Amino acid sequence: MSTDIEPPRTAETTEDELEALIGDRAIARDDHLNAPGFVINPDDVQDVLADLRDEAGFDHLSCLTAQQYEDRYESIYHMKKYVDPTQEVSVVVPTTLDEPTSQSAEPVFRTADWHEREAFDLVGIDYEGHPDPRRILLPETWQGHPLSLDYDQTKPQVVTLSEYENPIQPDHIDSESDTMFLNVGPHHPATHGVLHIKTVLDGETVLDVDPDIGYLHRCEEQMCQQGTYRHQIMPYPDRWDYVSSGLLNEWAYARVAEDLADIEVPEYAQVIRTMGAELCRIASHMLALGTFALDVYGDFTAVFQYAFRDREVIQDILEDLTGQRLMFNYFRLGGVAWDLPEPREEFIAQTRDFLDELPAKVDEYNDLLTTNEIFQIRCVDTGILEPEVAKEYGCTGPVARGSGIDYDLRRDDPYGYYENLEWDVVTEDGCDNYSRVLVRMREVEESAKIIEQCLDLIEEWPEDEREVQANVPRTLKPDPDTEVYRAVEGAKGELGIYIRSDGTDKPGRFKIRSPCYHNLSVLEQMVQGEYIPDLVASLGSLDIVLGEVDR
Amino acid sequence: MSRGAPEMVLQVGEPMLPERIGDLTGLGEFGVAGELIAAFLAAFIVGNLMLAMTGLAGPWAKRKITAAFTDRIAVNQIGPAGVGIIVADAVRLLSKENIIPENVDRPAYDVAPIVVASSAMLGFAVIPMGTGIQLADPEVGLAYVFAVSGIASLGLVMAGYASSNKYSLLGGLRAVAQNIAYEIPLVVTGMSVVLFAGSLQMSTIVEAQSQALIDLGVVSIPQWYALVNPFAFVLFLIANFAEVGRNPFDTPEAPTEIVAGYQTEYSSVYFVLIYLGEFLHIFLGGAIIATIFLGGPAGPGPAFLGIVWFLLKIWGVFMMTQWLRSAVPRVRIDQLIEIGWKGLLVLSFANLLLTAIIVGLIA
Amino acid sequence: MIGILKSMATTMKHALDGSTFTVEYPETAPDVSPRFRGVHKFSQERCIWCRQCENVCPNDTIQIVMDDKRNGEQYNLHIGQCIYCRLCEEVCPVDAILLTQNFEFTGDTKNDLVYNKEQLKAVPWYKDIDPLESREPDRGAWIGEGEGEVDYQ
Repeated sequence: MSTDIEPPRTAETTEDELEALIGDRAIARDDHLNAPGFVINPDDVQDVLADLRDEAGFDHLSCLTAQQYEDRYESIYHMKKYVDPTQEVSVVVPTTLDEPTSQSAEPVFRTADWHEREAFDLVGIDYEGHPDPRRILLPETWQGHPLSLDYDQTKPQVVTLSEYENPIQPDHIDSESDTMFLNVGPHHPATHGVLHIKTVLDGETVLDVDPDIGYLHRCEEQMCQQGTYRHQIMPYPDRWDYVSSGLLNEWAYARVAEDLADIEVPEYAQVIRTMGAELCRIASHMLALGTFALDVYGDFTAVFQYAFRDREVIQDILEDLTGQRLMFNYFRLGGVAWDLPEPREEFIAQTRDFLDELPAKVDEYNDLLTTNEIFQIRCVDTGILEPEVAKEYGCTGPVARGSGIDYDLRRDDPYGYYENLEWDVVTEDGCDNYSRVLVRMREVEESAKIIEQCLDLIEEWPEDEREVQANVPRTLKPDPDTEVYRAVEGAKGELGIYIRSDGTDKPGRFKIRSPCYHNLSVLEQMVQGEYIPDLVASLGSLDIVLGEVDR
Repeated sequence: MSRGAPEMVLQVGEPMLPERIGDLTGLGEFGVAGELIAAFLAAFIVGNLMLAMTGLAGPWAKRKITAAFTDRIAVNQIGPAGVGIIVADAVRLLSKENIIPENVDRPAYDVAPIVVASSAMLGFAVIPMGTGIQLADPEVGLAYVFAVSGIASLGLVMAGYASSNKYSLLGGLRAVAQNIAYEIPLVVTGMSVVLFAGSLQMSTIVEAQSQALIDLGVVSIPQWYALVNPFAFVLFLIANFAEVGRNPFDTPEAPTEIVAGYQTEYSSVYFVLIYLGEFLHIFLGGAIIATIFLGGPAGPGPAFLGIVWFLLKIWGVFMMTQWLRSAVPRVRIDQLIEIGWKGLLVLSFANLLLTAIIVGLIA
Repeated sequence: MIGILKSMATTMKHALDGSTFTVEYPETAPDVSPRFRGVHKFSQERCIWCRQCENVCPNDTIQIVMDDKRNGEQYNLHIGQCIYCRLCEEVCPVDAILLTQNFEFTGDTKNDLVYNKEQLKAVPWYKDIDPLESREPDRGAWIGEGEGEVDYQ
């Protein structure tokens, strides 16, 4: 087997070059498992990040992790390159406990806007120069910052709005205004969950949108920090993006934890993982397609039902494999829980049947959607997302690929068995809602190719080498203060996890980089000046899952 | 419900339904009062026929048809094929609390559902549904139908404005914009039929379609205007779908965009009335199409089957709306207006002109 | 226009072929996979009260009460709170707790869904499927040699 897909490497930025670039501004080194780390002063953030982007090409601010130590606060900017995500660098910005103020990175990377709002909200670091320093996940009236060490959980956490608001603040309603303020959601048929979009309209034209999220915030990061590495964390990733991309999410945790504890996964298990993950991707894209059609058609009509029906077949296959329809909990550190179900031939035949029927179904979707003229006038040239904007907002996954950004972690930062298989990364240059639909439909076909090859491999695998789990100790205690950030290509994009170990069997800090969160943040750029129906369609084409946005 | 002055009625076919009832029950001998009672009875019968059809279509047929398109089973628990759901749904809807939001504009909010529902009912007064099943047959029949069904937009804007809800307001405005944009092509296309028939009177239009277009001896194809001028038929069909707000022109309701449009705040009885009004409008649209394009109650078999044929044609149009619903995305509001003013309007005038020339040449 | 007609033809094809994908539940009971994870079944006879299941449970669904001589007294499991991850079954060295295929359970309040050990014992198999059979192959890693026939009923 050979590597058929060669990631497009660019001139590698070596560590020496990085050191030279950052120079005196680096006050120390704090290397992570995945990347060299430079500690800088809170005043140099914009400077260093701008240099890294412009001089060294680190144009993807993948994640911002904020955390509090006993003696300091810390913001870590995890940076990557869109052309080659294996080149990473971490910029660590410590601030003192009594004055946790750090310079905002927002002027350099727009995506830092939501990152820093979240860091402020949960940990309590102030970002100087941030244009919109509000809470984002928790309600405005929340007291304290729940991930900070001195947070008092026994104290009342939310006060009523009437207690909170300033009574002498003037009423900001402008009676002369020509615009209309409209709350889209939290209970609205097209928000795909509990999302609240504050919209300003001029007639039917959208002037401004402000997504209000956090209705589904379930403290997933805290829950993972309270679970043991070995078993208790794995069930939770299923619940981030809960619409059938469970295995993809589990892989995000499996990858980061296996890197952290240095666990080798048997090849056979990797093949099964790859197959399961791609099945999940098809299911997830089917749902994305169905709900997008729902948004454009406006009723529970045929396309939605057909997409659901096809997804149902995958659910059955996954149920046979994993024992559950959505919340799989199938991956284990070092492998998977089970081999294929007995009788194996039946399972393989069943999966092959699905793959054989898939092209006909895809044709049907093409007949129903992409060739339909009304669908075309609704989707072509609406919800435009230029590639530069997409990069600035940290968009990944089908959303980025629909804007022509050739970025797919399965190929660019290989894990699992992907690099030994033959498949293509799908991109479309339309930058509109239509391209995003096309990308998803074509990715379904690519995933089918991957599954086909995995099935071939599984069938031929010698019986005595079918090892599904590596030998992993029942308790994992990684070395204290090991830090690692790793990402996988989830159904919606780059799903990353940062873990800092503290010497116990539970993570000291567990941070989730959700692709939906950043894909949603770009909505305001896509819909300004468009009509309400386009707002709905654009939101649908972003394919967000609020469970993953809010975590 | 006016039955028109008797002198003005051009007796094309048999006597109207009120007279027949009057004769049958002997009410006709009691002078004006008797005639009035007979007229009420007739209106009652026709009205209930339409309500029964709506009752069948709304809770049951629509679900079954949608289910067929989407590979599902749909209602099947109560009664044969689940028809009992009609009763269950009626009880459910009527027994719910009628929630009236605080800031609604009271008289308008209450009147709107009645306007929407009754405007469609009024239209059926002049539709010839079969041998003698017609309440009135004024000379201006077609104009009357267009006029009364146009009242519905008044009801929609009342509902949209009075609800004191931004989604309702958007829906109400959309409804008005849409109705204005599509009423003109609708009427203009209807006029092309009038040019053929030479009359606005419904019975005359039906009568004019009864002659054979092509006589092949065994099979005789009637001179239905859908066959004489299929272009006008398609135009009218499209304008009609927009007029009654069905896919792909269901923008005034647009569930995924503006929640439910003008009916967002309505519940219980009021909701039933608006829902009823919508279905009645679909059926009225079907009835107009059947009358002016598909030969009204014409069909093979004895004359008393006329009503059956007529209802079948209406249901055909209803099925068509459901078929479109399954497969055609909704157009955006600006595209809808554009299609209306720049497309259909121009085409309908072209059609009118062409028809006028052809009719002039033949005459 | 052709595209629209093609769409309409596609849906009409589905309408006319008369096939349905949904089933009439509960008349037609759905098939579940042998590996499917439903409500738990507990066997007090087999349990050695090692509390591993309680320990591994990610969200404290299992509560065990023991007396001072470490004899088990209570075994409570909140089937409404459970996330059905199967870790308890996986760690159990003696197959005392098992997840059946049974997914149909009701309760008027959430307290009704807290099952004690008698209720857990009374949970029926779903369609007589013994879940252990389909899961047996890989259990060796956890339990070593089994103890012969397992009888839960």
